[in-house]
Amino acid sequence: MDLKEKRLIKKVRKGDQQAFAELVEQYKNSVFGICLRMVGNTQEAEDLSQEAFIRAYKHIDQYDHERKFSTWLFRIATNLSIDFLRRRKNNVSLDAVVPGTEGLSLNTILPDEGEKPDDRIVRKETEEMVQMEIKKLPEKYRLAIILKYIEDLSLKEISEIMDIPVGTVKTRIHRGREMLRKNMIEGGKTV
Amino acid sequence: MSCESEQYMSLMNKVLDQEATKQEEEALFAHLAVCDECRVHFNELKTATELLRRLTHPHLPASFTKNVLDQLPPDKRHAIRRWGSRHPVLTTVALCAVPMSLVMIGTRRQWKEKSGYALVKMSGDQT
Ligand SMILES: [Zn+2]
Repeated sequence: MDLKEKRLIKKVRKGDQQAFAELVEQYKNSVFGICLRMVGNTQEAEDLSQEAFIRAYKHIDQYDHERKFSTWLFRIATNLSIDFLRRRKNNVSLDAVVPGTEGLSLNTILPDEGEKPDDRIVRKETEEMVQMEIKKLPEKYRLAIILKYIEDLSLKEISEIMDIPVGTVKTRIHRGREMLRKNMIEGGKTV
Repeated sequence: MSCESEQYMSLMNKVLDQEATKQEEEALFAHLAVCDECRVHFNELKTATELLRRLTHPHLPASFTKNVLDQLPPDKRHAIRRWGSRHPVLTTVALCAVPMSLVMIGTRRQWKEKSGYALVKMSGDQT
């Protein structure tokens, strides 16, 4: 972990909220990305991200400074997301509308410089399709796939976040990848 | 996959994970050249991972950080005040005890003013 981050965390431990703000700025989009791809809804993902940071602040004394801060933070965020999904599963009856890709509005997709409106729509449709497929994955595969392909983390980091051996991470990535492939092909040959 | 062996599936995974040796990679590509089924399968897996990698990273607005800060517990450096608001009776006793003991060493007037201020401010916090 870099020295600047170490210094910031030292200040946070003493209650320095401005130092904490710097950490929030640094990691907010990664945390939001994990939550968003896990739960598939922008508003809920934003609430979960907030909760993750508040928890990290309140329990900063439990953070093991020998490890990467981001690993600990992402673990808090993934646990919150999984708890949220379990709660939702228990609360929502089966015939209720399952929230789909409503969170992925055009606003959450940053426009590329010089991108044509048509391209943007195609990209949005592709994003929605991929997000829908991610949501179909069982949670344990979904999380491994998100951390690997969307957050681009190493197998070791993923194993620490998910608290499972590296070998198990690999298996989950393989199974998740295979399921995605199968569903995408069966899902109307859109690929 | 009905191709005779699972061997190629695990090779595909190794190649996709970038953990295959040069030899393993060559063995897979040699097979893909002659087996349509595995070739299609491999390409589909690759497409799936590329689509995942191309997903945009959504950005949170700048107001997010402020919202988080607004919800943090009060600054730990003001822990005494926080303690005070949780234990108002004890704090009152403590704050009264200070000037009471100071009466005896003769600085009464000065400290009465200070403690009076603290008590007023504290009852304001509670409402
Ligand atoms: Zn084959």
